[in-house]
Amino acid sequence: ESHIQYERVGADVTMKCGSMDWDAAVTWTANGTDINESRLNGSYLILKNVDLSQSGQYSCYEGSSWHLKYQTYLRVGTPPTEPVLMCRSNNYPKGFYCSWHLPTPTYIPNSFNISVIHGTKDMVCEKDAIPKNRCHIRYLQLFSTVKYKVTLTVTNALGKNFTTLTFDEFAIVKPDPPESVMAKPVPNNPRRLEVSWQNPSSWPDPESFPLKFFLRYRPLILDQWQHVELSDGTSHTITDAYAGKEYIIQVAAKDNDIGTWSDWSVAVHATPWTEEPKHLTTEAQITETTSASTSSFMAPPTTKICDKGAVVGSGAMAVCWTAGLVMAAYSVLFI
Amino acid sequence: MAAADSPSAALRRRDLCSRGIRLAGKMRADVIDLLDAYVEQQGLDASASVAAVEGVPLAAVERWDEQTGTQRLLENLAAYRAFRALLAQMLEEQREQLGEADAGLGRALAAVLLQVSAFAYHLEELLRLESRGIPGEEEEEDGPPPPPRLSLFEQKLRGLGVLRELAQWALRSVRDLRQLAKPSPATGVAPGLVESP
Repeated sequence: ESHIQYERVGADVTMKCGSMDWDAAVTWTANGTDINESRLNGSYLILKNVDLSQSGQYSCYEGSSWHLKYQTYLRVGTPPTEPVLMCRSNNYPKGFYCSWHLPTPTYIPNSFNISVIHGTKDMVCEKDAIPKNRCHIRYLQLFSTVKYKVTLTVTNALGKNFTTLTFDEFAIVKPDPPESVMAKPVPNNPRRLEVSWQNPSSWPDPESFPLKFFLRYRPLILDQWQHVELSDGTSHTITDAYAGKEYIIQVAAKDNDIGTWSDWSVAVHATPWTEEPKHLTTEAQITETTSASTSSFMAPPTTKICDKGAVVGSGAMAVCWTAGLVMAAYSVLFI
Repeated sequence: MAAADSPSAALRRRDLCSRGIRLAGKMRADVIDLLDAYVEQQGLDASASVAAVEGVPLAAVERWDEQTGTQRLLENLAAYRAFRALLAQMLEEQREQLGEADAGLGRALAAVLLQVSAFAYHLEELLRLESRGIPGEEEEEDGPPPPPRLSLFEQKLRGLGVLRELAQWALRSVRDLRQLAKPSPATGVAPGLVESP
């Protein structure tokens, strides 16, 4: 006959060998290994101040016949501490979900029971298959001033504990972060970046329940963020970027009227448009390529360019010239 | 119904809905500020639960998304007419209790009362646009007898309940008007407002 026995860490445990008398000759094993007789009091096995490592299968055999007389699975653990409970609506006005966990493990199986009351009405929180520690509720009413009360009770063989959350319908509204955030340079604009994003797909009705957004950005080389709040639209042009610097950009969302800001979106990186470096070619190469029409760069008519240190291709010389009207007529190809 | 369907009526509706959304948004912000001041000056606990008070229209609604446009307008109008009377009563009680001692709170109450009246009128405009008859207000002289006189504390709690519910209504009104402003995919007319006779 096999049992499961749960004991608290630090407890003293006495195991009897089934119906055997105290003075019967027995042998105890733990996970198949004989236990020293010093641990026995007659036929009883005494384990003092048990710890987690002493969890396992304990078996008791009759003296010389080695008949198995008793077997138990000892599980050492702790009663549950107060669980952590969180409730949130990321799909307002459809409903909300609650999720929970234990801050410290008990090392033995736990069961969770959640109750949700709205005023005097009991509501059913439907457990999610994945993850297991989550359930969701559909709002039956909207715009109610009556609070919701959620109580989570966790129970195991060594005890129980609980926690309660009380909240208003609108206080727990927190959208998921915006999705598909993209940032790209604006051609010929060294200080601009175009950022776009989409409403989180979990937000069911952005037309009736519009979101507003918060955008933050900074060059990688600095710690200070710039912030912009946007009351509508899912795009924004940054106009004060430092030329040539790589930026990190994130967006957050919030219902226009209620609740709290989402977490920040996944960060995207972008660098504003920069002029391409001047091609360094010999005069012969310029003559040879003047008939080509493909152009990857057109210098402004009055720009004076001197690329003393710039090299194009292998072995090319640095060329310094003034870009004027003549320059505008030529296309330069990279070789 | 043809008038309600015309492009000009649709534009007028969108315009009224947009303005209504702004009115309701401003009203909600002011009611929330008033609530904070009211709680502090009346010596109440902001987290106190207040049982539903007779005569205070509850913003809570089931199947909100299934309501027609007309239902939304009529329920909003009935609510704001009720709040108009409730706020007027609160203002009167305030003056009786404190005279000029709490003029700031009285002014804030009066300002919200004005906004509630304006919003009720705005809702009537929307109903007129839909060629809907404006339901008559219950005449006070023919209405039910006045409720029994409440104690000072009961008056304060009721006032808290009134303002809380009004804040919820203002939020609901914003949502309702956004629904109304949505064009229907087939006709381009707001959903729920064009109904079979």
